[in-house]
Amino acid sequence: MAKFFRLWEKKRGDRRTGSPVAASVGEAMFFGTLFILGIVALAMLLANQAMKPDPHFFTLGLGSWLILIVLTSFILIGGGGFVLTILEVGASAERRSALVRKAGDMEFIREVRQRGREYPNIPRDANLTNSPGVRLTYRLPGLESTAWQLAAAAITCLLCVGIATVLIVIAVHGFQIDRPQWALTAFLVPFSSVTGWSVYYFARQLMLHTGIGPTSVEISDHPLYPGKAYEVFLVQSGRLHVEQLTIALICEEEATFRQGTDIRTEQRVVYRDEIFCGEDFHIDPAKPFEQSGSFHVPAQAMHSFKSGHNAVHWKILVTGRFEKWPPLARSFPVIVFPNESWEPAEHGAAD
Amino acid sequence: MEPLISIRQLAARRIYRPGETLTCEYQIDAIDPTEVQAVEASVLWYTTGKGDQDLGVHYFQRRTPYDAEQGDLRRLHRFQTVLPRSPLSYTGAIVRIHWVVRVRVFRRRGKDVYVDQGFQLGPGLRAPPSVNPQAHTAELE
Repeated sequence: MAKFFRLWEKKRGDRRTGSPVAASVGEAMFFGTLFILGIVALAMLLANQAMKPDPHFFTLGLGSWLILIVLTSFILIGGGGFVLTILEVGASAERRSALVRKAGDMEFIREVRQRGREYPNIPRDANLTNSPGVRLTYRLPGLESTAWQLAAAAITCLLCVGIATVLIVIAVHGFQIDRPQWALTAFLVPFSSVTGWSVYYFARQLMLHTGIGPTSVEISDHPLYPGKAYEVFLVQSGRLHVEQLTIALICEEEATFRQGTDIRTEQRVVYRDEIFCGEDFHIDPAKPFEQSGSFHVPAQAMHSFKSGHNAVHWKILVTGRFEKWPPLARSFPVIVFPNESWEPAEHGAAD
Repeated sequence: MEPLISIRQLAARRIYRPGETLTCEYQIDAIDPTEVQAVEASVLWYTTGKGDQDLGVHYFQRRTPYDAEQGDLRRLHRFQTVLPRSPLSYTGAIVRIHWVVRVRVFRRRGKDVYVDQGFQLGPGLRAPPSVNPQAHTAELE
């Protein structure tokens, strides 16, 4: 009996104990019950209102409107869940995928996804080509914006300092009138440490932002195609003594997988072409460092690729080591399209 | 006994250019025609490697006995599709992309059975060897 009525099921990745059919039946029953509950309750509510009209029924507030919205959501969630569960029972992975694709072919969605249809699973490059460069055609956006980190640090710091100031005033006032608040005083000890850390972190972020300064990368053309050459132009601002600064074209594979109940992502660099490497020089605030270079995308390079759990990314990576500053690593994504001039050999077979 | 599923791609080589037409035939044997509930033929890519598997269906056709001549789904059936421009077949370090023609047979009793026949879309890409960093070291401007 224990085999058929398990209290606990085991799960590892996609594999799990228990019958998938029983799971589908249970899921359908849950959504079906929710749907029927919503329909019956809504019908009773409306019938009651029709037979004994209540003038306060349509007034805004926590009354009948809220019940109406909750019951409607029961019907929508229950009905939608039930239909989806039924559609997925016995359907192959290919059929489910084809259903999703068919939904994507609907008129209003298709217009939005037109470029994606031309090159499926290649990310769009619209956000990478909407900023013109000063020296070259496009200015690439960075992957990590230091401004956001600085803003988050500033908000955290201000909140902590504000709360700590108010609490300290209350605690000191308590001591002044001989009614000390010991619990509040005890709380202030760790909270003051957190506040001190937030001030230090904000100051550090501010110094990083103003000291190292922004990095700008421009490129001669976009998207990139295998076998072609491109120019790149770097501008690095700040007041720095540079121990080493490099610009490289990177191809990185990314795989997301489940390990137990955790979701992990592994990234592996599979191609690196160093475009520039400079050592031991100064950057002044009045004269930002400028460097141009060129690179070739290999003829047999994989194009950019993105699916649910796997991806191939290309990017221009700027890394630096500076005197008295933490290391710098700023990424500027680029999109590589497939090489369409390729011709297959006359004879040969796939693996 | 499991049914036998035969797939044949009409092109002698199984290497295709993006945008090229793939024509394919399949046939089912060793099963009674009344036992076949439905047959699904698809052209799809899937990933293998370190990450969880992703799958993208490019072409899909489901046939039931109502769609077949005399209700016999076992007979030779041909279909064709224009292949997409991406994603191309790829063998990387932790990500691999495979293209296949898949025929799946649903039986009235018992589990469904499928057979894949692989093909290559594009030149069969691999991660290129990295360029020697020293060779590209430039002088400061």
